[in-house]
Amino acid sequence: MRVKSGEIILALGFLGLMLTLYLAFLWAPSVNINAFESPEAQRIFYWHVPAAWAAFIAFAVLFVGSALWFFKRSPLGWKLHIAGSEAGLACGLMAVWSGCVWGAAEWGTPWDWEDWRLNSFGLLTLLALFLVLGRQSQPDGVESRDTFSTFGLYGFVLVPLTYVATRIWVIRHPGPVIGGDEDSSISGDMALVLLIGALSFTTLIIGHILTSIEITKFEQRMDRLQKKLDGE
Amino acid sequence: MAEPILELNNVTVRRGMGVVLRDFSLKVNAGECVLLHGENGVGKSTVIETAARLLPLESGFVKHNGMMICDGEGRRNNPAKPFGLTLQANCLVPSQTVQQQLDNVVALSDKSYNVKPIIESYKIGNRRNDKIAHLSGGQQRKVAVISGLIPGMVSQESRLILLDEPDSGLDDDSVEILVKQIHMLRNLGHGFVIASHNKRLKECATSLHDLSEATNQTPDFSEVWEVNSDDKNYSLLRTKIGWNLNFTTLVSVQRNWLAALLVMGGLLSIADPLTLSDRDVILMGFTLAPAFTMGLVGDPVFKILSEQRAIDWWRAQNNSVPNSYLESIISGFLITAIAMQIFIQSVDYRIILAGGGIVLSTSFVVRFLQMSTIRLPRSNAVFIRLLTPILILPWGIIVDYCAKL
Repeated sequence: MRVKSGEIILALGFLGLMLTLYLAFLWAPSVNINAFESPEAQRIFYWHVPAAWAAFIAFAVLFVGSALWFFKRSPLGWKLHIAGSEAGLACGLMAVWSGCVWGAAEWGTPWDWEDWRLNSFGLLTLLALFLVLGRQSQPDGVESRDTFSTFGLYGFVLVPLTYVATRIWVIRHPGPVIGGDEDSSISGDMALVLLIGALSFTTLIIGHILTSIEITKFEQRMDRLQKKLDGE
Repeated sequence: MAEPILELNNVTVRRGMGVVLRDFSLKVNAGECVLLHGENGVGKSTVIETAARLLPLESGFVKHNGMMICDGEGRRNNPAKPFGLTLQANCLVPSQTVQQQLDNVVALSDKSYNVKPIIESYKIGNRRNDKIAHLSGGQQRKVAVISGLIPGMVSQESRLILLDEPDSGLDDDSVEILVKQIHMLRNLGHGFVIASHNKRLKECATSLHDLSEATNQTPDFSEVWEVNSDDKNYSLLRTKIGWNLNFTTLVSVQRNWLAALLVMGGLLSIADPLTLSDRDVILMGFTLAPAFTMGLVGDPVFKILSEQRAIDWWRAQNNSVPNSYLESIISGFLITAIAMQIFIQSVDYRIILAGGGIVLSTSFVVRFLQMSTIRLPRSNAVFIRLLTPILILPWGIIVDYCAKL
């Protein structure tokens, strides 16, 4: 059996995630117990931040794919749109879920409907869910591809909005870790675990995107063969 | 030389993953009847829907009476003159009566016309005041066909009439009447494009077109349709703001009001407002929750127009599809005033205004999302409402603001 490069990268990413979990919960140093309501819950951060980071990469892929399909009618663009929305959904759900667990422990509530970053990121994840479920509900065709690509293009506006949300409308969510100000930077062992997590998630979604493109190619081939059988 | 009534110039149209029409051209002049025939899937309905500007063009353009109404760049202009349209789906509003449906079509032509004799000619005169939903499938088809013919029946000026499988579901007598009326209207100077396999309808055609080549013929029929209409300027305002549709169907009561009242009842069942008198934000949230719910249910007019693709008929005729924004804002004022009486035991016009604004803006966003997916083959199955929870954020901000008033 031929093993595809996408599957190897996917497996490497998965192993990286396992390593991240191990380091986050059993190796990384504890935070200052006076600085947080629930210090041990801070370990979720090593999962949450890389997941959100990977989700942003996936949404960028979704945007590029949507633009390629919408403006160029590129078949590769459509494959990237599918892969980006699926990876965005998976990573977005992981970031939202881990954020809710942390929020429940630290803030006493899993969600704050008035926090811009939570809501804009939640909307991005719902957009990815809409694209994945919506696409499955429709027969493949230019009408559905055009419509979903339009949503993919509009949705990307939320990515920079989500990133800057904690700088402009600081309500509850902590400030950015990557590219933030001096107070927000971390160092030492914590940064190492975070880096391993970010690399693992990035590897995982690259593997997912490659595998998804391959699967879409097979689906489209099946569709063509089906139409051939129908005599079209 | 007079402009053709319809001109499709080098249009390319995709449906699904295939190109159905590639560089297809067609001209229909006054007094011509082009009958499209050919195998299923050859593109007959696509030609009709393209001519009615319901499908986006990859290239080329469509003109009605010399005026460009849509092109490959995505531009869309309202047709200067109304045109007759009967699609494969009936495009009727099931909650309206036959008379109301046809009156709307007559009003779109800015004419006053007694449709009773036409309805009687199709032997559904006794069902004139019945709701369309109560008619049989064949009777509904008759109403759809009459709707398509009316712009020609009320006008001395040349009109375009597009009929997609008009004979489908009609009995033999009705097909005979239809054939006769098409002959008479064509002789008056109207132009037809008809998609059909019916042999009787083929006799009406001046040109038989299988989408690759056309064969001309001369129909043998001399009688001309006599127009008995008067000019009357209808603004259609009551229809466009959803007044007529809302009042005749009570759809907003059935959907938006019911949902809002249920939410109010639910909130009352979990908390006694008197025990929350010191918790301003929660009380304001309870007060504005019914208005928010009302908006989230969506535009009721959009719902009834989607039932039998009547929205496509409106989209073809006019860029502004009827909406119920006015009704939304009035309902928002009312439901917020009621909620204030129940939860706060006082009335503040600023909060009532906020309630109206919440219903209007929320239903506008929901409608915008729904309209964005209208082109999809299964637009009702597309999970578009997954995107609406974000509206909780602005609603929460308004609640906070109102609580401080």
